[in-house]
Amino acid sequence: MQIKPILAALKRHKAGTLLIALQIALTLAIVCNALFIIHQRLDRIARPTGLDENNLMAIQNRMVGVEDKESGPLIRADLAALRQLPGVEDAISVNSYPLRGGGWSTGVHLNADDKKSKAHTTLYFSDEHTLATFGTRLVAGRNFQADEIGEADPKEVGDPAVVIISKALSDKLFPDSSALGKPIYIGDTKKPSTVIGIVERLQVPWNGNWSDTFYDNAIIEPYRLVSTFTNYMIRTKPGQLSAVMASAPAALYKTNRMRVIAPKNGIRTFAMVRESAYRADRGMAVLMGVVCAVLLGITAAGIVGLTSFWVGQRRKQIGVRRALGATQRDILSYFLTENLLIGTAGVLMGALLAIGMNLWMVTQFEMARLSVTYVLVGVVALLLLGQCAVLAPAMRASRVPPVEATRSV
Amino acid sequence: MLKMTHLSKVYRTEVVETYALRDFNINVNEGEFVAVTGPSGSGKTTFLTIAGLLETFTGGQYHLDGVEVSNLNDNERSRIRNEKIGFIFQAFNLIPDLNVFDNVEVPLRYRGMKAAERKERIMHSLERVGLASRAKHYPAELSGGQQQRVAIARALAGSPRLLLADEPTGNLDTQMARGVMELLEEIHREGATIVMVTHDPELAARAQRNVHIIDGQVVDLAEDPRFHHSVMAARANSPA
Amino acid sequence: MFAYYFQLGLRSLRKNPLLTALMVLAIGCGVAASMTTYSVFRATANNPIPQKSSQLYVPQIDNWGPEDAAENKGEPPQAMTYTDATNLIRDHRAKRQTVLYPVSLSVVPNDAGLLPFMENSYAWYGDAFAMFDIPFLYGSAWSVADDNAHADVAVIGRTLNDKLFHGANSVGKDINLNGHTYRITGVVDQWNPSPLFFDVVNTNAFDDTTEIFIPFTRAVDLKISTNGNNNCNKDPGQGWDNWIRSECIWLQYWAELPNTADADAYRQYLNGYAAEQQRSGRFHWAPNTRLRDVTDWLDYQKVVPQEAKVSLLVSLGFLLICLINTIGLLLAKFMRRASEIGVRRALGASRKEIYAQFLIEAAAIGLAGGLVGLLLTGLGVIGVGLVFQPDIAKLATLDVKLVLLTLVLAVVATVLAAFYPTWRAAQIQPAWQLKSN
Repeated sequence: MQIKPILAALKRHKAGTLLIALQIALTLAIVCNALFIIHQRLDRIARPTGLDENNLMAIQNRMVGVEDKESGPLIRADLAALRQLPGVEDAISVNSYPLRGGGWSTGVHLNADDKKSKAHTTLYFSDEHTLATFGTRLVAGRNFQADEIGEADPKEVGDPAVVIISKALSDKLFPDSSALGKPIYIGDTKKPSTVIGIVERLQVPWNGNWSDTFYDNAIIEPYRLVSTFTNYMIRTKPGQLSAVMASAPAALYKTNRMRVIAPKNGIRTFAMVRESAYRADRGMAVLMGVVCAVLLGITAAGIVGLTSFWVGQRRKQIGVRRALGATQRDILSYFLTENLLIGTAGVLMGALLAIGMNLWMVTQFEMARLSVTYVLVGVVALLLLGQCAVLAPAMRASRVPPVEATRSV
Repeated sequence: MLKMTHLSKVYRTEVVETYALRDFNINVNEGEFVAVTGPSGSGKTTFLTIAGLLETFTGGQYHLDGVEVSNLNDNERSRIRNEKIGFIFQAFNLIPDLNVFDNVEVPLRYRGMKAAERKERIMHSLERVGLASRAKHYPAELSGGQQQRVAIARALAGSPRLLLADEPTGNLDTQMARGVMELLEEIHREGATIVMVTHDPELAARAQRNVHIIDGQVVDLAEDPRFHHSVMAARANSPA
Repeated sequence: MFAYYFQLGLRSLRKNPLLTALMVLAIGCGVAASMTTYSVFRATANNPIPQKSSQLYVPQIDNWGPEDAAENKGEPPQAMTYTDATNLIRDHRAKRQTVLYPVSLSVVPNDAGLLPFMENSYAWYGDAFAMFDIPFLYGSAWSVADDNAHADVAVIGRTLNDKLFHGANSVGKDINLNGHTYRITGVVDQWNPSPLFFDVVNTNAFDDTTEIFIPFTRAVDLKISTNGNNNCNKDPGQGWDNWIRSECIWLQYWAELPNTADADAYRQYLNGYAAEQQRSGRFHWAPNTRLRDVTDWLDYQKVVPQEAKVSLLVSLGFLLICLINTIGLLLAKFMRRASEIGVRRALGASRKEIYAQFLIEAAAIGLAGGLVGLLLTGLGVIGVGLVFQPDIAKLATLDVKLVLLTLVLAVVATVLAAFYPTWRAAQIQPAWQLKSN
């Protein structure tokens, strides 16, 4: 197909050409960035917590009318009641759990004198039932023993002799070997804790940007915190979750009525915890997805509209070409090539715009850099979209009969 | 009524200047029916578009109804077109989206006329062209002759002083053409000034006066015996 | 003439229903996306206390030193230690001031048959009620004497009052919180500033109403720890007393400074205070303090969620594309009527009249787009909960202002988009039509 005559014809339709190219460019820029946001968010949602999520539930409990120090026996009684419930596999009292949103975090040092910490981590405080309740797999070492578990006021937690850490933290602290059996310093303490076990995976309680650098780093310390506020985590036997959701709070109130389990977020299955933690991420992905789809639709429709107009305007011209021997294919490929030219100009502008837009968003919104793959995929997608959109009007053009040449106007 | 002196119209492209009209002089008096003839490309249509203020000219003077028009702005020119001039085009140029009534209404709308007066004028001019019963029809539903009569009704509705017609019968068969021509003659008898461009000598013969244009200039008919002869012959043949 | 053009516009739009539907839908989608995200943005970017936002200030003092500050662009910590907060209260340099922190208080009903329940609660000074313009239904704030006496007094919210006392005046009555008895001094009428400016650090700036307030001095006596964030740069040591004396930050501080001169004076005071701490050996660095008013504070705390900003921007980009699309389609639509324009011009329509005709046609499209947009915005506002946290989502509402804004935006945007196509239409020479024949 000769490109020169097409360019010459486009020169006579500067405004329309520019509008389509501009629309393609902007669409590409937005779609690339939107896809990138979607991918980032979906990646985050897909991060495993390391828990047996399908059989887990959490109860947020607040004892009433007692001091923090007096709540130890109450918590023990609660745990005993929960663990005896039919359908319950195991249960713990813990300061926080993955995706909960709030918890403890601190730096880990390899030597007592190190000024800078080697890694950042979250701290979970619970007892020897933790691994069985979370459902996280021990990949090295051993679990806590009952006699290693202490009880402490949150403000009086000491440095534990032994800890279990996540594999990610182990790898970060000791890239070349295992942390098992090694001493680590949690916070700015002088007293080391020995790593006695490593679990396959355990996520931090947060899922926002700020914890992205250490989202798999966790330490379990062998303390039951003695506080009026605690989270009970319950792992049920398969299929028993809904039954325990009903029986667990009843059992707790039976043990002791002076407590508050908030009606709003007091009792949640882990699925609910996950849903509320990732609501914003999933919503953002859905929103961006809808925007992309509608945008592509509108751009395609715009191309169809303007090309149809051009075809209508050039009916006589097309008739003359046909009369002079152009085949239907020639006419079809004329319009396809024309669209490809405009599209190419559009995607070139769009690629630059997409990268520029991303760079700006990086400075404004703590976003990551756009990978070139997205731009390339977007470029191909928009060129294809253009070709598909132009197909219908181009087919109509190719069916203009040669006799059109003889008609006036 | 219409007076052009030393008027010229030049079309400029990057390479050449083309004179469409050159030292063009014409004077049409009030109430005249003038036919403008000439070979194609002679400048007939250019003359008509300038006369109708559809286009500006390059040099010379043009007085329309005593007003020098070269210095008027777009608004004033639109106003004059709307109030003083009626157009009849070869291709009728009805607006396909509007029905007959609404088409005739267009110039009256731009005059800002009250609805009652508009309606009266529209129906009156449609009656005159014999199409009052077709007011609700769309142009596509009418024959060519009927469409041209609607166009004439539209030109008449504003009671223009000057009627400009460009090959009004060019797109019509003989019988329809005759009907349109009779209508124009009737309108002329009622006092309108008509300038009609045509290349049909038979039509030209029915006008009061013929103006012949060759190469953008008015040629004195008396000095062109060939043409004079053909006109005389046509007159002799015509039934009137 | 307007009616005539409007009628012509409608007629022309009916002529190509598909093209018209496309334009209307594009504008509707663009406007709806923009308005939906704007409704969230508007809610989160709201000034919660416009009448006093320039008089209420949050002081910040760097008690952690330049190393920690460096990790936060040199900013001092966003909360305060007990030591600094009580020193500032003692110095009493502002017209009014308060230190505050969220506490967890459970209400124990007198009726033993009822279960205890929890309400959002704060511990602060009696000054806070006047500072924050909190309206009272019954009674009033507790007195300075109560603050100084660490008294067992409380102010409760209207909803809690309805629940416990069936809406009756409960001033002087007792309420049992965590097993301790407090005397009610006042009942607050509806008060739920949004964003929750006084404690954005511990809430995500959007939360349910606060129903219980108790004196800060009393809460500390009872060793009620914060229900919000507690950050330590080093081990505070064991127990409450060590914690209170530590450099752990967990308190919010507010000062009311009626004019800029007061604010400047307070800034000097803060720097002087920090310098004094340096001299006494507590700080090993030069004073690094901040004093931000409500708007600056909300801005600094990034109260408007990133999602709200990004989605507003993306939506505006979306609207822009829809408008470019509309420009193209209008151009096609108008130019297809070149012959009509030529005839109208010949029949005496001036350029101005062509402008009027086509801009009014565009406005009609815009209006239709606005109505579609309104419908979609309504759906969008309902669907906001899919994207944003419930506390924020419920703030996005379709009020009269948003309805009007939607329609105006649609019409104005479409008319703006129509300027180029209309200009092109008005350029069509009346003679053009005659010639082409």
